[in-house]
Amino acid sequence: MTVDQISSVADRPGAAADTGRAPAAGGPRISMTTRRHRAFYMFTSPWIIGFLLLTITPMVYALWLSFTTFDGISPHWKYVGLGNYRELLNDPVTWDALGRAGLFAVTSVPLSIAAGLALAVLVNRPLKARGLFRTLLYLPAVVPPVGAGLAFKLLFDPNSGATNGVITFFGFDAIGWLADPYARYVLLMTVLWAAGNVMIISLAGLQDVPRELHEAARIDGASAWRTFRSITVPLLSPVLLFQTVTGMIASVQTIMPLLLAPLGDTSGITTVPQSNYLYMMHVFAQYFALGRYGYASALLWVLFVLILIATGLIFKFTSGVVFYNVDPEAKK
Amino acid sequence: MRPHAGASLSRRRFLGLSAGGAVAGAAALSGCALQVSTGVGGSGETVTVMVNSGDILPEQVQQAKKALGIKIKLVKYDITKLIAMLTGGNPPDLVRGVGAVDLPFFAARDVAEELDPYFARSSVLKPDDLDPVNDLWRFDGRTQGKGPRYGMAKDFSQDSMFWYNAAAFDKAGVDYPPETEPVTYEEWLDNARRLVQRRSGQTTVFGGSFNGLTRSTLLATMTASAGGSLFNDDFSQVDFTTPEARKALTWYMDYAKTKVGPSLIQPDPNGWDGPTYQAGRMAMSNSGYWMGGMIYPDKKLAEVSRLAPAPLFAGGERISACQGGTGLWMPRGAKNKDAAWRVFEWFFGEEPAKARASGGWGIPTLKSLRSLMPAEEEYQKRVLKVQENELKHFSVVSFTPYTRAEALDALFNQIAPAAMNGQISVDALAGRLNSAINEQLKRGKEQVG
Repeated sequence: MTVDQISSVADRPGAAADTGRAPAAGGPRISMTTRRHRAFYMFTSPWIIGFLLLTITPMVYALWLSFTTFDGISPHWKYVGLGNYRELLNDPVTWDALGRAGLFAVTSVPLSIAAGLALAVLVNRPLKARGLFRTLLYLPAVVPPVGAGLAFKLLFDPNSGATNGVITFFGFDAIGWLADPYARYVLLMTVLWAAGNVMIISLAGLQDVPRELHEAARIDGASAWRTFRSITVPLLSPVLLFQTVTGMIASVQTIMPLLLAPLGDTSGITTVPQSNYLYMMHVFAQYFALGRYGYASALLWVLFVLILIATGLIFKFTSGVVFYNVDPEAKK
Repeated sequence: MRPHAGASLSRRRFLGLSAGGAVAGAAALSGCALQVSTGVGGSGETVTVMVNSGDILPEQVQQAKKALGIKIKLVKYDITKLIAMLTGGNPPDLVRGVGAVDLPFFAARDVAEELDPYFARSSVLKPDDLDPVNDLWRFDGRTQGKGPRYGMAKDFSQDSMFWYNAAAFDKAGVDYPPETEPVTYEEWLDNARRLVQRRSGQTTVFGGSFNGLTRSTLLATMTASAGGSLFNDDFSQVDFTTPEARKALTWYMDYAKTKVGPSLIQPDPNGWDGPTYQAGRMAMSNSGYWMGGMIYPDKKLAEVSRLAPAPLFAGGERISACQGGTGLWMPRGAKNKDAAWRVFEWFFGEEPAKARASGGWGIPTLKSLRSLMPAEEEYQKRVLKVQENELKHFSVVSFTPYTRAEALDALFNQIAPAAMNGQISVDALAGRLNSAINEQLKRGKEQVG
């Protein structure tokens, strides 16, 4: 008897008697379907309640704030309707920060996926001490972002950092890594440094690629590159799509460079070099340095909508190239 | 149709119930969250104090419990948390604040308690014993330095003064700055140029640091020193284009451009001057008397360290303001005001105050504690003499109540690097600063009402 057959038996009238269970004396009869629904909701309710409390409630509250001039403390804030949204449309700092965040996303996401995939391919090969290499390459990804940020700040300090120490040792002039135009490269390096995250997911995907496909390709005389391009990449495409979407969302929300800022107070957020002043830093500055809760909430809602649109576009444009290795019969 | 017991739970009904649960949960959470003032505790009262680590040490908490019978609960100072607590109606009983810049902001928003009645009946903190620096904690609704008291400074310094490393001066063959007469800002910058040491494009020793406590207090003070005022009469606008403000701004841009010290375009990796000065990598540090607390324990460093008066502009007025005056204030919504006041008295007039005074971490804010300032060693005596002379030139430079200093600094940080890098002129910078800062002040004024 299959699971479906068991369900259908349990759901039919009189099932309780059939299955040997007596209905509650004098109580209402509860069908198996109701029980299953109830169990489903009981199990999912902690997440749903958490989602309502910790996601939906703050989002609705932020939406309300975005229509006001609330600064968190002053008594005379007022409702301004779409005023904050109109202001952000005309705020060049906002658009510049958004443009930089977009540029950062389209640069850092492909680079980190490519680096992670390359590492995954390397450590998927039969190497000696493969486990050790996998651990070492993944290790930077488990370092807390605070530690990583401080480490990079010290490494790239123009006057006392190790990077310039090496450069000047070979007779070259020191480079102002933490200022424009070099700061953007340091930021990219912090992202690539943690490519182990991407590597571990790609590695899991690689291990799911059926070995017989590779063997068949080799027998047919396909080169390693052709095998990678025509077998590995298509089979990894759902994983790569997942990494693209989550990477894009994470990269436009990045606030890591705060740790590279020289000042420790909330005004320090604006001391980052201009090339690293990304959208979320602008949001942070508006909230906590300038106390503009209403305007900052409007910025966040705009970002939320833009992320939804970008995610939708990614799905739309990749629908023809992402290969889902599932049994077509299973969909029926 | 009314659902009956045992009916299948529809999604709509379930989500409705979940939403109800969420609202109830939120209400419960808001009741629990940030519930800090607990009133009467088992062995005495509990007072919640929001400070930085190090403002009140754990052993002092124990001491307070023994001496006052009051339990102090420390909460780490965090402006966002403070605002959340104030908004939620559960503020701490006492809060750290920088008198020079925080007090007008909070007092104007009516969230700070007037402390005059408490001072009037205090036997520990007597009004005639209060140093004039405590006037930074007075605000009459318009001007700082007048009106009721809202707090008190724990100690203070005159923050335009500077320390210098005599060994660095000797090495560079530069004359020491005089100890009683100020150098001009131009002379200070000239000295810094001669003291800075570079190698392969790296600055190995900063000639000097001059960044004030915040950029906004620095520029307000320097403008006052040039004989002007950065703010207009009602503090609702700044004007960087006046000759005095422009003079201050030009000097600060020159300082940054020459890269003789840390600035927005050449940040100090340590974030502040202390460790860099201590390591012998900074010849002059724009810090007041308080830095002695860091210098004195290192006898070798103390013997080569000197304190010098605040610079002035050639032909300008000698002004030596306190840009900080960090202390405590009591939120109007504090739940435990009488016990909080007792802790306030203890912190500012009893054991912790005496410990601070003798540590050299600032000038005591009670005149009666001045005698405790460290003066055993020769170097301490020399520093004290310079400081005592400087006190004759103490002045209060009022700050706007319409925004926090951090907001002005955030805007300055965004706009100024272009001028520091020589991409825009000082005049263009002054115009951009006026525009951005005045917009922020206008919003603040509307909110204060």
